[in-house]
Amino acid sequence: MTSVTLALLSARLGKRQAALEYKWMKRATSEVPLERMLARRVAGEPLQYILAEQPFGPLTIKVKPPVLIPRPETEHWTIRLAEVLNRSSARTLSVLDLGTGTGCIPLLLCNMLPAGSVHAYGIDISSEAVSLATENAALCGFSPSHDITRNSFQAFQASFLDPSFPHISLGVAPPFDLITSNPPYISWPEYMQLPHSVASYEDPKALFGGPDGLDFYHAIAKLVARKDFLNPGAVVAVEVGDGQAASVQRIFTTTAQMKTQIWLDPWQKKRTVIARR
Amino acid sequence: MSSPEDVLHLKRLKETEPIQNAWDNWTTTREALRETTALLGDPDLRSMASEDHAMLIESLTDIIKTTFPAILVPPSRTAHLSALVELKSGVGGSEASLFLGEMLRMYLRLAQAFRWKADVVTSSELDGGGIRDAVVEFKGAGAYDTLRWESGVHRVQRVPATEQSGRLHTSTVAIVVLPLMEESEANDEALYSMDDIKIEVMRSRGAGGQHVNKTESAVRLTHIPSGITVAMQDERSQHTNRRRAFQVLASRLMEAKLIREMEARRASRRNLVKSADRSDKIRTYNWPQERVTDHRIGLSLRNLTSVMEGDGLQDFVAAMKRDHEETQMEEALLE
Repeated sequence: MTSVTLALLSARLGKRQAALEYKWMKRATSEVPLERMLARRVAGEPLQYILAEQPFGPLTIKVKPPVLIPRPETEHWTIRLAEVLNRSSARTLSVLDLGTGTGCIPLLLCNMLPAGSVHAYGIDISSEAVSLATENAALCGFSPSHDITRNSFQAFQASFLDPSFPHISLGVAPPFDLITSNPPYISWPEYMQLPHSVASYEDPKALFGGPDGLDFYHAIAKLVARKDFLNPGAVVAVEVGDGQAASVQRIFTTTAQMKTQIWLDPWQKKRTVIARR
Repeated sequence: MSSPEDVLHLKRLKETEPIQNAWDNWTTTREALRETTALLGDPDLRSMASEDHAMLIESLTDIIKTTFPAILVPPSRTAHLSALVELKSGVGGSEASLFLGEMLRMYLRLAQAFRWKADVVTSSELDGGGIRDAVVEFKGAGAYDTLRWESGVHRVQRVPATEQSGRLHTSTVAIVVLPLMEESEANDEALYSMDDIKIEVMRSRGAGGQHVNKTESAVRLTHIPSGITVAMQDERSQHTNRRRAFQVLASRLMEAKLIREMEARRASRRNLVKSADRSDKIRTYNWPQERVTDHRIGLSLRNLTSVMEGDGLQDFVAAMKRDHEETQMEEALLE
């Protein structure tokens, strides 16, 4: 039985990847039987949902369908961002992550920046994401506490497309020192081309960025352009899709009058737009 | 609070401790001998004194023959290092891989005996049993100094379980033992500069980002000046693969540095000793004769079962260590 499933897995992923994934499933501490995991993988379910966790820098982030699975590209730029911040600032940072999903970005910043220097908030439209991010904050040891010598992360349900965001009742108030976001950026034509493992398992609300995939960048640029939304010297870091970097740069330079910079991902794609006031 | 000078002085004091101890031992034994010699003239105590006299002479001889020369052996610069062991199956196909699996267990047992923490970093297990290659970390002081003499080609001679005709096969497993350091130690050794390292992620992800949720964590490092490349893909985390690749790279560069230092020392003595090549056959495990032979020191023991299943390997490890110390002592005396 297993050998047949393994052959199917090899056909699907290639021999080398299948061997690796088989090893990771064997090693998993999950209660799901190996045979069941293999069958789910053969059916096209993402490995990360089957194993229910994903490494993100030194952290282990819990993942649960349909909340967006943390990507290695996001891991890469978040680590770089933490390194830049570590070198440049000694002060306490108020951080807002827009569309936080699992909470992976603010949690990795909490992990990599000096203790007591990060107070991070994440918002998401999806209640599943908010409860998963809250769970991850606890698992990583960054739940809000009265101890100000610790970094903290807290997730709230809200929409940043809402003109009244952030509503006074939310408990998250500007000004911020750092805005991060991996907003939905897949365009309508690209959405039709997505692989089965993405389109059939991950939340469309975390993927679809409007007809040209740029809707959320316009919203973020308008938000940060508001008076007193950012502290002096604040940084905005947003992940972008393949081929979107130049358009997103333009949105931030025109709408928010910010200076921008582009970071490449490990695969040499223009992946992150960094904007500063 | 102790100043850095204090720390340095204490360290120096600690290093000279064996010399002081040996000298103290020598003087007290000699004093005892002098006193005992005086008693030899006393008819009542003579028989007891002569016994002591003989014993003390023996102790002094031992100090001259063993303790004093041992002080000449320079303290090992690598004594505190852990070890990174790479095993690769050579000639012999699946039989070599089966033997590699058995060797891996042999070393894991040795680690237990020495109380090292063993961690299999990567291993490619084959469907038909056996392991094609593996990388194992042995963490603990002395792991490198003990295991370093395992580097080389190990040969197995036996009738494979799968062989119908009962023909004797010869297969090999190549082992490379590298020094393993903590990240901070590696930095202190200044083994590489980040500018000299090319970091590559392997295989394309197409558009990447939200478009793809395939696990892609393989990493390859190239140290441009030496041409050394290290690829790591065993972990789901790119971060972990990258850290491990850097660790392996540091180990390889540290080994190269140790070899350079050793050669410089030897050249300065105009006493060129041929150092063992990695491709040299160092040991044979012969099943029909239940024999293990180390070709470097000509040690042959009929303890194969104990080597593979018990603690027989410790005899070989200890013999190699002793041989190394004796060689170092000779070199020191030739200076």
